[in-house]
Amino acid sequence: MIEAFIKAISATPGKPAGVSRRTDTVAKMIDTTTCIGCKACEVACQEWNNQQVTFGNFEGTYQTMPDLAHNFWNLIKFNETESEIGTPLWLMSKYQCMHCVDPGCLKACPAPGAIVQYTNGIVDFNHDACIGCGYCMTGCPFDVPKMNPATNKVHKCTLCTDRVSVGLEPACIKACPTNCLSFGTREDLIRKAEDRVSTLQSDGFRNAGIYNPPGVGGTHVVYVLAHADQPEAYGLPKDPHIPWTVALWKGPLKWIGNVLLIGGILGTFFHYVRYGPQRDE
Amino acid sequence: MFVTDRSAMNEPRVSRFSVAERVIHWLVALSFLYVALTGLAIWSPRLYWLAAVFGGGFTVRAWHPWAGLLFVVFFTAMFRNWRRQMRLDRDDRRWLRLSHRYAVHDFAGLPEAGRFNAGQKSLFWMQAIFGLLLIASGIVIWWPAVMPRLLREIAVLIHPTAAVISIGGIILHIYMGTAAVPGSFRGMIQGWVTPGWAASHHPKWYREHVGSTGTTRSPSR
Repeated sequence: MIEAFIKAISATPGKPAGVSRRTDTVAKMIDTTTCIGCKACEVACQEWNNQQVTFGNFEGTYQTMPDLAHNFWNLIKFNETESEIGTPLWLMSKYQCMHCVDPGCLKACPAPGAIVQYTNGIVDFNHDACIGCGYCMTGCPFDVPKMNPATNKVHKCTLCTDRVSVGLEPACIKACPTNCLSFGTREDLIRKAEDRVSTLQSDGFRNAGIYNPPGVGGTHVVYVLAHADQPEAYGLPKDPHIPWTVALWKGPLKWIGNVLLIGGILGTFFHYVRYGPQRDE
Repeated sequence: MFVTDRSAMNEPRVSRFSVAERVIHWLVALSFLYVALTGLAIWSPRLYWLAAVFGGGFTVRAWHPWAGLLFVVFFTAMFRNWRRQMRLDRDDRRWLRLSHRYAVHDFAGLPEAGRFNAGQKSLFWMQAIFGLLLIASGIVIWWPAVMPRLLREIAVLIHPTAAVISIGGIILHIYMGTAAVPGSFRGMIQGWVTPGWAASHHPKWYREHVGSTGTTRSPSR
């Protein structure tokens, strides 16, 4: 069992109370090369989180939904494309919250405590504190958080933090019949992914690789892709970053703005102290 | 400020703003105050306590956009009333170039102000422009689930930037309208000023206004 303390809290100045011990971080590894698209993980996710979703119309694809939803946090994307030698590729990949090391949702959130990152790497939403602004949806480079229009609260995969905190693996991992999903410490899983990649490469998948995008500091959901040179083919962004406008807004702009506002108040006050009121002549 | 002292009671009064002008100004002001304070709550975690004052973060997030719409409606009415009188003429432009002198109370050589001085006029246009930016970006931020990502990414930068500049302008406006120029606040609340006030702060307006229409009112109203 991996203990979890709070590592970062949204919209909260300062650092959370210190963590005295080193704690391991958890991760999911998704080996897309052994995914058979059975969607057991989708079912397990819905079951464990007690969610029901209304499905749309059949759109000529095996994919359950066009996108994630506020009550559907785990989606197998079915992508059809071609390999470099023109053979068809049918790529399946599990899509959910990536649990970024540097989470854009948390950076964008204005509500203190609404988004929390634990020392084990899980990024979780606290719906009591959520104000429904949807800034997290703009901050997230993966378009993962979804708003429930009835409650104006935003939802996403919790990496089964409730299960993980009592020593269980996430529901999706538990359900996977091909072992393409694994759960463990991030360090172990990245090593496992590297092993798998070298096997794939010796099997002829020259472009096999790990998807662990550095633009968001790495993620606690790592993929093994047979065609890692084109993550877009799997429905994954090529080089995800927190949008620069969000970084500017939550970084330098905040300081410049505060200096201007406080300066304005102090400036007018001291103008009065120095010059006093204008008099009628 | 609301109280008129005895000497003022006996003074002749010059009508400064009509009831309609004052009502619309204060509707603009109150709606601005609400969006500014609730906006500041969301702007900085250190000001999040303001959300509690206005009913909590969830309420603030729900009402802020509606109040913003109201602000735009009221501002539009004010804009229609005043846009002609707010045109900057040559004297105003000269005044703006010399505004550093105005700031340090060196009034000699400054062009005379009409009904509104160049500072007030500039504020008017500035608030109109930033109001437009705020409502355009605000509508994008209002519905994150339906607005395209690119628009949202731009809006989250424009909205706070425009808000900070706009609030900065209003800080100055409140200061000028209360402490810095005694008598102005009464002009906007009760609608009248003393002839001395009018002659010294808006001499061009005073001469034209009092000269042509003679609306100086007796103390008995």
